[in-house]
Amino acid sequence: MKHLVPSARVLLCGALAGLLAAVPLAPAFAHTGSGVALGLVSGFLHPLTGADHLVAMVAVGLWGAQLGNPAIWVLPVTFPLVMAVGGVLGLLGVPLPFVEPVIALSGIALGVMVALAARPPLWVAAVMVGVFAVFHGYAHGRELPDAADAVAFAAGFVAATGLLHLTGILIGVLVRWEAGARAVRACGAAIGCVGLYFLLGAVGIIA
Amino acid sequence: MKARLTRWIHLSAAGAALACAPTAAHAHLVETRLGDFYSGALHPLTDLQQVLPWIALAVLAAFQGAQRARWVILAFPLALLAGGLLSLVLPQPAFGPALGLALVAATGLAVAAALRVPLPVLLGTAGIMGLLHGDQNGAAMAASTDRVLFLAGVMASGYVVMTLATGAALAFLRGGGRGDDVPSTGSWRPIALRAGGSWVAAVGIMVLGLHLVTPGAS
Repeated sequence: MKHLVPSARVLLCGALAGLLAAVPLAPAFAHTGSGVALGLVSGFLHPLTGADHLVAMVAVGLWGAQLGNPAIWVLPVTFPLVMAVGGVLGLLGVPLPFVEPVIALSGIALGVMVALAARPPLWVAAVMVGVFAVFHGYAHGRELPDAADAVAFAAGFVAATGLLHLTGILIGVLVRWEAGARAVRACGAAIGCVGLYFLLGAVGIIA
Repeated sequence: MKARLTRWIHLSAAGAALACAPTAAHAHLVETRLGDFYSGALHPLTDLQQVLPWIALAVLAAFQGAQRARWVILAFPLALLAGGLLSLVLPQPAFGPALGLALVAATGLAVAAALRVPLPVLLGTAGIMGLLHGDQNGAAMAASTDRVLFLAGVMASGYVVMTLATGAALAFLRGGGRGDDVPSTGSWRPIALRAGGSWVAAVGIMVLGLHLVTPGAS
């Protein structure tokens, strides 16, 4: 115990010095939280803070990676455009029924497709992903009029969505190996479970 | 060992304390002499509605090959200057915001489709965008603003962004440095740029929709 005392003293001094250094002697003006900056941050966080959106977008990337060419590149190019159509529908106030349940359902459906490593014709996959893209875009579009900066908010959530696809595609690279392919299918199953949880919440079965 | 650890902790603490020292840097007085040049240079860069189509136009130019892209680097800053000069004599057009958003969507869609466009169309797009954005930036000048410096700043900003973005896109498309003038569209590199174009188009379509539904909200 005795030999620990000097170390403890050094650590105490270090901690005190660190604490003093951390005391804000001058105010920090790094984040004003307004205009473009706030719009970008809130837009970027919008798909990331909703787990139902997040897992569905990753599933899109995973499925694209499983399907390979040309789905792996058709998907990231067309998804934002179809999502924008959904966003405009939301802005126009066009009534779209069951938005939240369909978003949760997208997690289940895409998760199941990944879990089963399903390989439907490209047009079937495109229509399925496109329909879900409209609903995801609709949910984002409804938030747009309240954004601090509409362009920045839109740029933020489109970039976040695209990066989630990329995340799925990068994880999907594992399909080249047998064990990796199984891991990707397990990810799909987990995404399906998350979607099911949100669906049960959306229809009021669980709180 | 213990002495070295002690010295390291002391140095780290001193470094942290120094880093948090509440002193302000006044080395460069940007608000004097050339201040309006920097104001002009920064003005378009703080607006994504201008930066996004600039980058999309640069990528679109890169898709046409270096030979054609060079003309955009020349034409765009000159159109910015002409637009800035127009703002001194003409009022801002009412269709300006809608046209600006339509340009975001159109350039993004063109990149997403990796369109090969004739040179006059490419230069026409650069000219319209330059005139519009030059006019919008010029209209932001106050009575006390040095107009020559401000417009020179806007023009320099447009030139630098367009040159860097076009060069970066061309280098990215060529990848291994094959030296082809018109990049191939078979590899993953153009697909990555096309995905970026679809992001820009999506932003343009949605915000244009918002502008048409509630003018002034965008």
